[in-house]
Amino acid sequence: MWTRVNDFDRMFGAMDLLRSRMNRVFGDPDRSYGNDYGWVVAEGAPRTNLYDAGNHFEIKAEVPGLTKEDLNLRIQGNYLEISGNRKADAPEGYKAHRVERAAGSFTRSFTLPADVDTEKVEASLKDGILTLTLPKAEAAKPKQITIN
Amino acid sequence: MNDKAELVKRDETTPERSRQIPAVAPVVDIYEDNDEILLHADMPGVAKEDITVNVDNGKLTITGIRKMTATGAANWAEFGDVEYRRIFSVPQAIDVGKVNAELRDGVLKLHLPKSEAAKPRQIEIKAA
Repeated sequence: MWTRVNDFDRMFGAMDLLRSRMNRVFGDPDRSYGNDYGWVVAEGAPRTNLYDAGNHFEIKAEVPGLTKEDLNLRIQGNYLEISGNRKADAPEGYKAHRVERAAGSFTRSFTLPADVDTEKVEASLKDGILTLTLPKAEAAKPKQITIN
Repeated sequence: MNDKAELVKRDETTPERSRQIPAVAPVVDIYEDNDEILLHADMPGVAKEDITVNVDNGKLTITGIRKMTATGAANWAEFGDVEYRRIFSVPQAIDVGKVNAELRDGVLKLHLPKSEAAKPRQIEIKAA
């Protein structure tokens, strides 16, 4: 007897859970060895996120194992280019059992949604995540409009 | 009457709907020489405190949780919060007490030294 919304909720909750599990099984069974969550040199470049925080943009990129010397950033107007080279860190005199982490160089370029103030761009690198803070150019900043 | 009893018995808790963070296996390199097995795993964005390395009963478990901090709305997001987790079988010959790990630039490097008994040995042939 369905007496409460709660009952439906519970039933669908269980179904959702099952469905998401099944999706995971069929979606990408080989995920652990593919490019899904690894370093994505095969596709050309590391994964990135872009956030818009009103006065500035923030870009985050996954660059595990890269130092700041390995990375190169260029910016012009609203065009940004991140390039880098990941060196193989295979130790000398060891035999390899498994090598999944690809090495190599990459370039990735973006057209940002608005012009940025190229002088004030900041970049930091922590725990293999590159974070770029790009303040927007004056014209692109959000403005409060007062109603007369 | 019957319905009433059922209503009373029903517990009030709603099924928990916590946001599940996806668990993925990090990509690893495994190397070996005469003295140790060396494991490198990519775990970008995971802080040292959020990594656990556990050796138990021949199983090595590595987990790490990445919590992203970001300001503003995402225009695009290709990665996010994730739980890295991967389990390996390790040979009995590993000296568990001497396992050590370092984390640098989002890469976990795990040194698994072999116990003395397991190291390869050159056997000398004595002249008769």
